[in-house]
Amino acid sequence: MSASLGGLLALGSGYLLLLFLVALAVERHWIPTRIARHPTVYTLALGVYASAWAIYGSLELAGNAGYGYLAYYLGVAGAFLLAPVLLVPIQRMTRTYQLASLADLFAFRFRSRWVGTLITLISLLAVLPLLALQVQTLGDTIHLVTGTASPALLALLFCALIALFAILFGARHTRLHARHDTLLAVIALESLIKLTAMLALGAFALFVVFDGPADLQAWLDGPGRAAQASVIQLDPAQWRTLLLLFFAAAFLMPHMFHITFAETLSRRTLLQAGWTLPLFLLLMALPVPLILWAAQRLGVDAAEIGPAYLAYGLSESLWLQGLVFIAGLAATSGTMIIISLALSGMILNHLVLVAHPPVDQPDLYRWLRWLRRALIVAVILGGWLFYRLVGVNHDLTTLGLAAFIGMAQCLPGMLALLYWPGANRKGMVSGLTAGVLVWLAGTWVPLLSDLPALVLLPPGLETLAGEPVWYVVTLVSLAANILTLILVSLITPTSAGEQAAAEACSVDAVIRPKRLPLVAGNGEEFKHHLARALGEEVAAREVDRALSDLGLSPLDGRPYALRRLRDRIQANLSGLMGPSVAQDIVDRHLPYRRGGLEPNDDIHFVESRLEAYRTRLTGLARELDGLRRYHRRMLTRLPVGLCAFGVDDELLMWNDALAELSGIDGSSVVGSRRDGLPAPWGELLGRVLLEQDDQLYKQPVTLAGTTRYLSLHKAELEADEEMRGGTVILVEDHSEMKWLEDELVHAARLASIGQLAAGVAHEIGNPVTGISSLAQNLRYDTDEPEVLETATQIQQLTERISRIVESLVGFAHGGRHVAGRAFAPVSLDTLTDEALHLIHLARSGEDIQYRNRCPAGLEVKGDAQRLLQVMVNLLGNARDASTPGSEVTIDAAPEGEWLHLTVTDQGHGIDERVRDHLFEPFTTTKPPGEGTGLGLPLVYSIIAEHGGQIDIDSPPPGELQGTRIHLWLPLNPEHGERTDEPDPDR
Amino acid sequence: MYIYRIMLFLVFGGYLLSPLLMSGWASPEVAWYRPFVIWGVLITLTLWLEQKRRLDER
Repeated sequence: MSASLGGLLALGSGYLLLLFLVALAVERHWIPTRIARHPTVYTLALGVYASAWAIYGSLELAGNAGYGYLAYYLGVAGAFLLAPVLLVPIQRMTRTYQLASLADLFAFRFRSRWVGTLITLISLLAVLPLLALQVQTLGDTIHLVTGTASPALLALLFCALIALFAILFGARHTRLHARHDTLLAVIALESLIKLTAMLALGAFALFVVFDGPADLQAWLDGPGRAAQASVIQLDPAQWRTLLLLFFAAAFLMPHMFHITFAETLSRRTLLQAGWTLPLFLLLMALPVPLILWAAQRLGVDAAEIGPAYLAYGLSESLWLQGLVFIAGLAATSGTMIIISLALSGMILNHLVLVAHPPVDQPDLYRWLRWLRRALIVAVILGGWLFYRLVGVNHDLTTLGLAAFIGMAQCLPGMLALLYWPGANRKGMVSGLTAGVLVWLAGTWVPLLSDLPALVLLPPGLETLAGEPVWYVVTLVSLAANILTLILVSLITPTSAGEQAAAEACSVDAVIRPKRLPLVAGNGEEFKHHLARALGEEVAAREVDRALSDLGLSPLDGRPYALRRLRDRIQANLSGLMGPSVAQDIVDRHLPYRRGGLEPNDDIHFVESRLEAYRTRLTGLARELDGLRRYHRRMLTRLPVGLCAFGVDDELLMWNDALAELSGIDGSSVVGSRRDGLPAPWGELLGRVLLEQDDQLYKQPVTLAGTTRYLSLHKAELEADEEMRGGTVILVEDHSEMKWLEDELVHAARLASIGQLAAGVAHEIGNPVTGISSLAQNLRYDTDEPEVLETATQIQQLTERISRIVESLVGFAHGGRHVAGRAFAPVSLDTLTDEALHLIHLARSGEDIQYRNRCPAGLEVKGDAQRLLQVMVNLLGNARDASTPGSEVTIDAAPEGEWLHLTVTDQGHGIDERVRDHLFEPFTTTKPPGEGTGLGLPLVYSIIAEHGGQIDIDSPPPGELQGTRIHLWLPLNPEHGERTDEPDPDR
Repeated sequence: MYIYRIMLFLVFGGYLLSPLLMSGWASPEVAWYRPFVIWGVLITLTLWLEQKRRLDER
């Protein structure tokens, strides 16, 4: 080994400088984001698992235990193969509740800050040997390559550079639970470098040291056989135990937990890692035996350079040794960076913040950031000190196994967390304590002193006495851990809070969150309450952030929205300072209101969660969810308004029909209390809820400026153990029915007036006949022209009275033509003149100009009296619509067999909305009390009796305002001219 | 869910049978790369199951 110290330092520093440059390139977006965020980057970043153990420790283990070294790779590959049932549920929990570490997860599940503290202490103790292992490989290789006498100091220099990198690119953000693209990209690059270096070393061994696969096989069958035969194979039980340790390490080791769960990556990417990570590990593991066999063939003295560092003996070439060194440095630095980041977060949240809660910190974010940076340095320095004081006396396998056995003590707790809601805090802490005590006695005692492992074998396990210490310690500690966990959990009670958290964490969780009311009434009040713990600025930022995450308004006072806001704030604070402190702050400053009704399940929240997880349901659960969705859709699409309230008056459903009727979107009111609903709904629904009868009929309600009549029916939902109580209300719009009823009443009133009129007409008829007779007598009794004229006029007027009375009787009998009256020729100009004459008698409309442009001599065949009624009606309408000084014109012209007559005014025209209903009874454009809505229906009826037609232009073509009524009446066949063909459309 | 069961079966089956892998270290009858070939087959199987699961969830 002849490399110079300066050369090695330059190589190492150059490598770390390259990492800084790549990090800078990612951060400044010189490398496109789509590359930095590619799933492959994540897979490679998971390669952080391949620490210095993968480069050096595996060689040592392969030399001692043959294929036993594969346990390191296959254990983690097995864990990732189980990603859908093991890792995805953990990812769901960590993401939902913003849990960034194993300690966060345990503290959340077992509802105790002390559990978090315990897990942090165990992680710290377990990780120290692993950190020391990394530093030791650095020190050993520096010594091996350069021969320097002070490798520890040089290792410290590299540790300082690694800590600097971790601080610069990993601790810039205050929140742990966020994706650090820069960091992931750098770790991925390191994995790529490790892989390339290992494959290059494998290729060198296979094709340079051996002459290809055939030569290797020949060597294995021949000269190499003796060396291989000396390898003591692991027995199956030991092998399985080793597999179990590395399986647990895949998701329990702080650096693996951090990359897998704290870096927020998609579920799909995690599932993909189920095969991509095992592939990466396969390629990493493949060169190990090749390097070992090549070293054996070359006769490299393992005792001299150490069994872990055989790769340095493959060649004297500086290039090859540089390659091995860089592979080791890449593995070491990646592992140390992520471990220091993960552990610093755990120590901060579960030791420092628990001992010194961050109350009244002037700049909380800055304080947390600097504290974390200091802890990163402390963790890396701790690793270096452990190496100097303890590690130098032990081989890599001993250090590594001490770390893996320690972390495996969390495995029973983790499995209980996922699959056994019955496990409780006391059981977990007792089990963990028992396991950790065995681990400390069995591995730390030999590490720290010359004493042998202190493991007392329980009765029945005496046969383990001669087995390797790591194997015995693993079995005894895990057995003690599991048995204590189960027994204590079974015999001790579980608190309600813990039970709820257990359900939230369980894979087969039946999550039934409760509808508890909060003291704070809206987002602004949240800020005010939280300011006492976090200061005004941080409280405002955290509440605004949570509001923005949820898309809520600060003034939204719905209890449902407030509960979601509280949960989100707790999750966000958990990402900032751990779940224990976050829960303390939220419980203390955003409390629930006590007293009142027994809280009910928050079914709206359960439903929204089911919607989000729909694609993950399988089998029966999926079928049932399909059924639930079908029933829900039926209620939502029901063509009648429907809403449902819980027993606490919280609105649980507001269907589409009700949203359309009320103009209020369901999403904006579901989750509100009844009295918080917009007017008039709160009061109206409150009335029906209080009503003894189950319905309210035709309640007048003003909606969008219109009075509508709503009928409400309710049904109580009885509560029992399985079913939630509440009330369901149907809201029917009976406005149109009410209007029809009103019209019917009006029509009946008119009918009675008609009958009255008929009676009056009969009574009037006699005196009128008398007057007419007297006028007749007067004519006989005098020759004076003036008296004669008067008598004639009296007779004409009495005739008119008779006709009017007759018409009134006719109208009272349904507006039918009076039987017995035959159609006769009617002169149009006489008809219009008479109509105008009658119109002029009225007091109103005196300043309207009437222009009769009917040509003389035109005759139609019909009932003169009824046609006069038509003309009077039409002219009356024209007069009422006209403004003072405007003109009403009557035109007429023959069209074939028809007479086309028009009455045109310059008035305000007819509203479009009533135009199509003008000939229906009771439709009027006049102000209330002025029109009956019967005039035009009568006109229509009379024209129809005459076989004619009627139409309306409003405004007439070419005009801006006014109305033109068109009449087509049959011309008298014995009279009149035939000019052109009738309009076929008429 | 059936796919997950296959995975569970594979992993636990593999866990129990895996000691058989180690017998080939010094055995002349067995090619040295046999464990890696078996591992590669397992990866291919997982890839296939992953594709199937994605189709199932679509």
